[in-house]
Amino acid sequence: MSDTLLIIEDNEQNFYLMRFLLEKSGFTVIGAETGREGLEKALHAMPRAVLLDIQLPEMDGYAVAAELKKHGELEGVPIIAVTSYAMAGDRERILAAGATGYIEKPINPETFVEEIRKYL
Amino acid sequence: MKIRDRILFGWFTLFDGRSAGRGRFFLGMPVVLLALFNFLTPSAIADDRIVKIGVYENAPKIFTSESGKPAGIFIDIIEEIAGREGWTLRYVSGTWGEGLDRLKKREIDLMPDVAYTWDRENMFSFHKVPVLSSWFQVYASKGSRIQSILDLAGKRITVLERSVQQEAFVRLSEGFGLNTTLISMPDYKAMFETVARGEADAAITNRFYGLMHAKKLGLVDTAVIFNPSDLFFATPKSTHGKLLDAIDTHLLEMKKDPQSIYYRSLKQWTSEKVRFKFPAWLQILGLVVGVALLISLVGSAVLKHQVNARTRELQQINQEMEQRIVERTAELAVAMEKAQAADRIKSSFLATMSHELRTPLNSIIGFTGILLKGLAGPLNEEQLKQMTMVQNSSRHLLALINDVLDISKIETGQLVLSVTSFELRPSIERMVGLVSPMAEKKGIEIRMDIQDDIGTAANDQRRLEQVILNLLNNAVKFTEKGHVRISCRSENDHCLLSVSDTGIGIRPEEIPVIFQPFHQIDTGLARRHEGTGLGLSICKKLLDTMGGTISVESQWGQGSTFNVRFPQKIGGSS
Repeated sequence: MSDTLLIIEDNEQNFYLMRFLLEKSGFTVIGAETGREGLEKALHAMPRAVLLDIQLPEMDGYAVAAELKKHGELEGVPIIAVTSYAMAGDRERILAAGATGYIEKPINPETFVEEIRKYL
Repeated sequence: MKIRDRILFGWFTLFDGRSAGRGRFFLGMPVVLLALFNFLTPSAIADDRIVKIGVYENAPKIFTSESGKPAGIFIDIIEEIAGREGWTLRYVSGTWGEGLDRLKKREIDLMPDVAYTWDRENMFSFHKVPVLSSWFQVYASKGSRIQSILDLAGKRITVLERSVQQEAFVRLSEGFGLNTTLISMPDYKAMFETVARGEADAAITNRFYGLMHAKKLGLVDTAVIFNPSDLFFATPKSTHGKLLDAIDTHLLEMKKDPQSIYYRSLKQWTSEKVRFKFPAWLQILGLVVGVALLISLVGSAVLKHQVNARTRELQQINQEMEQRIVERTAELAVAMEKAQAADRIKSSFLATMSHELRTPLNSIIGFTGILLKGLAGPLNEEQLKQMTMVQNSSRHLLALINDVLDISKIETGQLVLSVTSFELRPSIERMVGLVSPMAEKKGIEIRMDIQDDIGTAANDQRRLEQVILNLLNNAVKFTEKGHVRISCRSENDHCLLSVSDTGIGIRPEEIPVIFQPFHQIDTGLARRHEGTGLGLSICKKLLDTMGGTISVESQWGQGSTFNVRFPQKIGGSS
């Protein structure tokens, strides 16, 4: 199984932060700025897990999660929502949409990688 | 006899009044022819007949009215008869006595109201049908106690001079052996007035006069009645047979007809008519009252008009008000919708803001952490110190954002408790573990006193831990020396959790406001005791949502104790 992780995130700094932490821990990281690009890359690269931001342009995280779940070949690839949505029901909604886990932003750099490993 | 009367009547007519000229024209004609002419056309001759009548004051039978004209029952009757017969009536006023004298001397043709007596039959002629039947009655002042003829003994009694009643009363009183003083007076009016003034005790008048006048003068009728008599018109002896016949004929006719002038006159003059003249002051008063009444009527009419106008105005205003209420209600509904929309926008705004703030904070906290861990290379001491300050500030900012978001969630009712079953003791111990490093650093001991069999709780673990952590954090934060103690026990399906410290305590005036948002005690120490000022108000709101309570006991400078009580199992058997 590859150590490639797909991060779908439109904020460059946040993408950079997560990529830095994960690459430091030995993961290979690929990125996508939109939901559609993320879907293509997921099907093409078959990553170990997908880190998914919720607030994305055009196609939001919920829709992306739902699309990913439709592809049988991606079964077993955990979808980890990394989001700053924190209102009531956000966690429940994203889990219902197909996410495996949920990490709230801002991420804690000291524990972030460990939290990701839990879902792998 | 009849024919003779008519011939005489005819002659009388010829030599009387206006017909005198015509009489001379026929002077040379034979007497028989004249008599025959007269016999065949009696009405033509009667047309020119002048009848002189004596008038005296004996109301209501005969008297002079206020306007100076003769009036009364006898006048009404004779005028009716004169009208039918074509007579012209001439009145000759005087007293009763003067009237009788004139009749005797043939200066007048008729004297009304003459009672028939044998004596008078010798001097006068009477017709046969009585005009009225009357009697004499004694009238006295109210309260005189004259009830029978015997009560008149020793009394002064006024009588009409030369009247029938005078003779009759004298006979009557002699019969009873009464000794009375009789005062003769020229008319009834003077008699009644004398009694009214108290100068006499009683008056004798006919019943008609008494009926009409007694009450007016404050006199009353007594039970003393005597000498019933029939009243007639009288003429000089044996000269006016035709006139008397005419009176009889018409009187008989009138007496048969209830609608005739005879009965109308009787009714008019004898039904007790008290003509009361109002005193001047009463008239003025009446006028004033009348004017006042008129003014008030006009006033009330004006007022009514104004009231009506005002009522219409009010109705219109009322309608306008109703219309406005309807409009306002619609506006309020719109405003309400807007407010609800604004509330949704606010929640959405907060969620968005929270997200937008977290995104840059993610970078700040994240990269600070990376730098501090040395993942991007080693830092010198000063860099380490400064990066630590950035990290603390960014963490504080994050805490603020989280608390504001919490308050917002609770206030908009978005806070939904996520109830799970969990062991209480490890949960509390974990929270103690989180504050232990800070307590150790300050040299403060944290004591735990948890009931051995505290067991499990069915509650929102994360929110409950948030409360416990907040209280522990505060206790450690505001305590410089001594200890912090946390206890927990179960009682009546509720958990009683208390966190006490030996810190600075809370001033009495701050206790009532300590659970309000953005309240932080002792603002002068704000820098030393960094916090959002929202912690306790969030704790209170969370406990409210759980159906629990929070309270505080504190003495300034001696420390504080926060007591929390919450259902051990939400939705459980309790």
